[in-house]
Amino acid sequence: MEDHSKEKQHIVSYKENFGTWLGLMLLTALTVAVSVANASLITLTVVTALVIATTKAILVAYYFMHLKFDHKLYRIMLLIITLLFSSFMLLTIVDYLSR
Amino acid sequence: MSESLSTDLNFFQVKKGIISWLFSLDHKRIGLMYLYAIISFFLVGVTLGLLMRLELIAPGETIMKAKTYNQTFTLHGVIMIFLFIIPSIPAIFGNFFLPIMLGTDDVALPKLNLLSWWLYVIGALFALSTLVFGDGPADTGWTFYAPYSVQTNTNVTMSVMAAFILGFSSILTGLNFIVTIHRLRAPGMGWFQMPLFAWSLYATSWIQLLATPIIGITLLMIVAERAFGVGLFDPAIGGDPILYQHLFWIYSHPAVYIMALPAMGIISEIIPTFAKRSIFGYKAIAYSSMAIAFVGYFVWGHHMFTSGMSGSARIIFSVLTFMVAIPTAIKVFNWVATMYKGSIDLQPPMLYAMAFIFQFMIGGLTGLVLAALAADIHLHDTYFVVGHFHYVMFGGTGFAMFGGMHYWFPKIWGRMYNIKIAKFAFALLVLGFNMLYFPMLILGLMGMPRRYYDYLPQFTDLNVLSTVGSWILAIGLITMLVNLINGMRKGAPAGRNPWGSISLEWQTKSPPPLENFDKQPELNEGGPYNYKN
Ligand code: HEM
Ligand SMILES: [Cu+2]
Repeated sequence: MEDHSKEKQHIVSYKENFGTWLGLMLLTALTVAVSVANASLITLTVVTALVIATTKAILVAYYFMHLKFDHKLYRIMLLIITLLFSSFMLLTIVDYLSR
Repeated sequence: MSESLSTDLNFFQVKKGIISWLFSLDHKRIGLMYLYAIISFFLVGVTLGLLMRLELIAPGETIMKAKTYNQTFTLHGVIMIFLFIIPSIPAIFGNFFLPIMLGTDDVALPKLNLLSWWLYVIGALFALSTLVFGDGPADTGWTFYAPYSVQTNTNVTMSVMAAFILGFSSILTGLNFIVTIHRLRAPGMGWFQMPLFAWSLYATSWIQLLATPIIGITLLMIVAERAFGVGLFDPAIGGDPILYQHLFWIYSHPAVYIMALPAMGIISEIIPTFAKRSIFGYKAIAYSSMAIAFVGYFVWGHHMFTSGMSGSARIIFSVLTFMVAIPTAIKVFNWVATMYKGSIDLQPPMLYAMAFIFQFMIGGLTGLVLAALAADIHLHDTYFVVGHFHYVMFGGTGFAMFGGMHYWFPKIWGRMYNIKIAKFAFALLVLGFNMLYFPMLILGLMGMPRRYYDYLPQFTDLNVLSTVGSWILAIGLITMLVNLINGMRKGAPAGRNPWGSISLEWQTKSPPPLENFDKQPELNEGGPYNYKN
């Protein structure tokens, strides 16, 4: 029942959209490059790939999905959920590493 | 919906015929459709429970074979968990009353709401289809533990798909309530003017939304392993069975709070109404709901103390489990403090609320016994656990739901049931319930393992007592339901506010009109529980 007309709608410019897309392409190229170059360092390759994938997901969420221009609440929600998920992983890994 | 704005008609009268129900977008009708479906499955589950108790009236084979018994407790567990207790209070009373308590005309996403109900029905059909298709219902227990669930040739895939579909129904309901609470509160109703039932649904919805996908994907992994031999959980093909237990309980422990929190919400509504006092510690109750929902995510390992998890992990999970008892205790203290020096009116809903506190406390405190690492080594997989979770889920949530049925009955149907018979049924239920499950706690301490169709002769006496208790409970259930159905048909008209409550749902007519209110509801000065004394 809030008044939507007062909320400002951010229109993402072509420049921002294109820049994001370019960034995503570069990161994809980087993933491929790392996996080819570092084929021997298996763990490290996996870690780099995951870090890059996370960065890409954040870019998509922030620009394409408008998280950056939306209410702060949504960013807080995303943060909480990410932390929650990380704690599931953490507690499970504690079991594995200390077994 | 403008064609039916005439406020003389209540929501039962605006449209007639089965189709007007099955495809209704009215949250009240959807809530009632859930009520009828859920009660039906509850009765199926109860019947299976009674059959198990009959098998256990004497040692050795009594009425069924070992494998049948295993299938019976599995189907009983699946029905009671996924078809009864998880949807129960949110899907029935949340749907019916959340919009009314917020002073609005429907949930935020009515079509999604109808979809949830249909998913529920489809999931239920999947679960029941295991009775007729394939090699019979699964015999794994409702937990579907790997590797057995991958190896057994009973119909695990179908049961697991049922739980998967039911999970979607639950997620959509949670999503709907979150949006409704954020967007549709009546003008002037801030977060802390919300009824506590709405707070409890809010906390519950976040669990439904965030935890349910985990069981969805885990159950699909079981299907993948059964169908394609992907080595996820079976050590013989490179999997890890403890990983399954982690994934399963990451959802299924928070699910315990999907069952408990809405029940606590109902209790927080009933007690101020019948003690005629403003609730003690409104904010403490609201925040403790959120705290329970949050801490409840990190305690799942207490189901795995004896299954080979590492020592350090066991200690961490034990400590965290003890912590989750704190916000729960806060609520109990607040309810008791609300009743203290109130003018208590022992109507049926209040009786159920008090039985809830008593039985839920037994359930909670036996939970702490199980959370202690050393004690759990002895008690794990004994009847102590069966007693414990029936006290929480049935003695707690089940009784709260019955309390809600007696509390909101006059609002939903505009009529009153017979109060005397309701009290009599209540007495039978409390007696039968405790006679059925208290002996289980003792049997567990004595060492009787769960999930067997047979037992050693020294356990006979308590098992007979328990089975007789199950009969008294059954008679109580029948009395309660017959009384309610009679009240629904020919009870005396109840008026808007038979209990003298001050929360919003009692301001409208009984039964409410399609748009919920015939005039703009007035928010109570000083919050939803500001009674005179
Ligand atoms: C008349 C009512 C009921 C009776 C007589 C009954 C009886 C039983 C018995 C005897 C068992 C133990 C089976 C075994 O370990 O060998 C059992 C298991 C179970 N019951 Fe009930 N029960 C009843 C109601 C409920 C309700 C209301 C719920 C949930 C809200 C529930 C949930 C469960 C679950 C989850 C299990 C575990 C199944 C498994 O081991 O996989 N029961 N019940
Ligand atoms: Cu648990």
